[in-house]
Amino acid sequence: MKNFLVFFLLFSLSFSQSKVSIQDKEIEINENEAVVEVLGMVCSMCAFGIGEGFAKTDFIDKSKFTDGVSVDIDAQYVQLGLLESTNINPEKIVQVIEDAGYDVNLLFILQNEKLTKFSTDKLGILQPIAFNLTSDIDS
Amino acid sequence: MLRKLFALIILFSAISAHPVIFKNGKVFWITQNPSFNDIRFGISKTSNWLIGGRFLEDRKSNETFALVNNNYLAKRWNNRNSQANLYLLSSVGLNTKNSKSMGTVGIHGDWEDRKFMVMQMLEYYSHNSAVVSNTRFAYSPYTVDYSKTSTWLIAHYRIEYSDSKYSYMFFPVVRLFKKNYLVEIGSNGDNTFLSFMTHF
Repeated sequence: MKNFLVFFLLFSLSFSQSKVSIQDKEIEINENEAVVEVLGMVCSMCAFGIGEGFAKTDFIDKSKFTDGVSVDIDAQYVQLGLLESTNINPEKIVQVIEDAGYDVNLLFILQNEKLTKFSTDKLGILQPIAFNLTSDIDS
Repeated sequence: MLRKLFALIILFSAISAHPVIFKNGKVFWITQNPSFNDIRFGISKTSNWLIGGRFLEDRKSNETFALVNNNYLAKRWNNRNSQANLYLLSSVGLNTKNSKSMGTVGIHGDWEDRKFMVMQMLEYYSHNSAVVSNTRFAYSPYTVDYSKTSTWLIAHYRIEYSDSKYSYMFFPVVRLFKKNYLVEIGSNGDNTFLSFMTHF
């Protein structure tokens, strides 16, 4: 029984953690997290507006990162902690980024042990391009 | 009293970095340049439209104006590692002493990445029929992450045309910003340029 529990825990971990890549930077993503590549986010004042936008939503887990949001301006991405109870609609994430004045290029969401990759097409519409990814993904 | 207030704020004085900010974001900024003391408060109703109030003092004529300020982001180009913007700017209001109407219109274009920035702004002021051009070339000697203080070295050229005369000025300016606070200080020996801006 003990061995089974250890095996089960290790098995679960392998499916609730993965790595994604944005602008050649490898990022660890855990269960109930999202990673967003934000086009145009070149300064801390730009990033501040994005953080303020997510702080007002009802799907951010503020116990993760800094109030639920981690920003990397060099690689132009934000990482979000998502509330476990929320099945996130990716359009909500895109809306916050656009309300701050920026555009989403790539979006990764790891929820319910499924890693999904979205990309914005030429018309500016977010499209899922890969599902159920549990291994490393390159942008 | 007004002059004392400006003297106090000069310690923190500011510039127009991003004339429109994130949706429902508020901005407060103060600028002092050779022509004006300028205090503004605004709220971005959307990510491309900011409306607010502006208190402007013409330092040459000693006139003061209370204005409604309207900034519109006409176009933003968001790219990997860079951003470019085109803004349309306007203000309308009254001279606080004689209630004569006054207005400004302007256009502002910029491009920036993590290390370089260029900006051009043209403004027209109706009370003295002045046209002012501000041009900037900026360089950041190092890049820092979100939580650290960023430094920019700026070459600021200012040309003002009024009363059929041109006046030219050059200021080396240092810009420091961290998260939602921005401070700029410049001087060419004869004149100073100061600015403070915060978003919240």
